[in-house]
Amino acid sequence: LPCLCSRRLSDVDGMVASEGTIYPLLSRLRRDGLVESMWRESAEGPPRRYYHLTDAGRAALAGFAREWSRFRDAVDHFMEGEA
Amino acid sequence: MTTTDQLVEEYLDQLEEELHDMPRARRRELVDEIAQHIADGGAQSEAELRTLLDRLGEPGEIADEARERFGMAPRQDAGYPWFETVALIPLVPGSFVPFGWIAGVVMLWMSRRWTRGDKLIGTFVVPGGLGFIAVALAFGEPLSAGLVALLVLPPIAAGIYLAWRLTKV
Repeated sequence: LPCLCSRRLSDVDGMVASEGTIYPLLSRLRRDGLVESMWRESAEGPPRRYYHLTDAGRAALAGFAREWSRFRDAVDHFMEGEA
Repeated sequence: MTTTDQLVEEYLDQLEEELHDMPRARRRELVDEIAQHIADGGAQSEAELRTLLDRLGEPGEIADEARERFGMAPRQDAGYPWFETVALIPLVPGSFVPFGWIAGVVMLWMSRRWTRGDKLIGTFVVPGGLGFIAVALAFGEPLSAGLVALLVLPPIAAGIYLAWRLTKV
C-alpha cells in the first residue's frame, strides 16, 4: 500500500524528501517485474491499487540485503578506525 | 469550488504540465496515483491539505524523479527562462506597438514554465496590456488620474506576478 509505505519511509529521518517521489519508483519496479499491483475494492471510496513483491522482487531484495550488510560492515570497519 | 478543491486541481494541473514530455499512459498513471494519494489523505481543512501537499513534494520534484526512473533526459527548459523573459517584453509595455500584446500572449501560452492559472492571469488581467493607454493617448482623450491608474497598474502587477512565478517553478 503506497500510502502507508511512503508515510513509514518519511518517518525515518533522511529517507524521503517528498512522499510523491515513491510513485515513479513503484511504477518503475512494476515495469521491471519486481512488484505486481492489483486493484481491490475498498469499503469507502473507489478501488485501490495494492502492490506486492514478485518472486523476482523477493530475490532482488535478498540480494540487495546481502550486498548492503557487506557494504555496511566495510564502512563501519573504516569509520571505527577514524573515531 | 472550494479553496481546497482549487488547491488540489492546481497541484495536479502543474504535475500534468511538468510531465508533458512523458508517454501519455505513464503520465496518466502517475497523476491518478497522486490524486488517489491526496484523496486518501482525507484532509479536512485547507491547512491539513497544504501540509499533505508539502509532504508530497513539488510537482517538479516528482516529475524529475519520474524522468530519472525511466531514463529520460532531464527537463530541457531548466536554466534561465529566456523564452519567458522575451515573452514579457511585448506582453506588458510592448503593447504600445501594434500586435505586440498578441505576440506576447502567444508566447505566454507556448511557455512550459507558467501554469495554466498564470497564463489566464497574463491573458485576462486587462487584455491589451498598456495598449488602452496608448490608444487613448493617440486619440487625445482626456483621462482622469483614477482611470489611468486602473489601466496602468493591473498589467504592470500581472507582469511582476508572472516574473515572480518564474523564480518559483
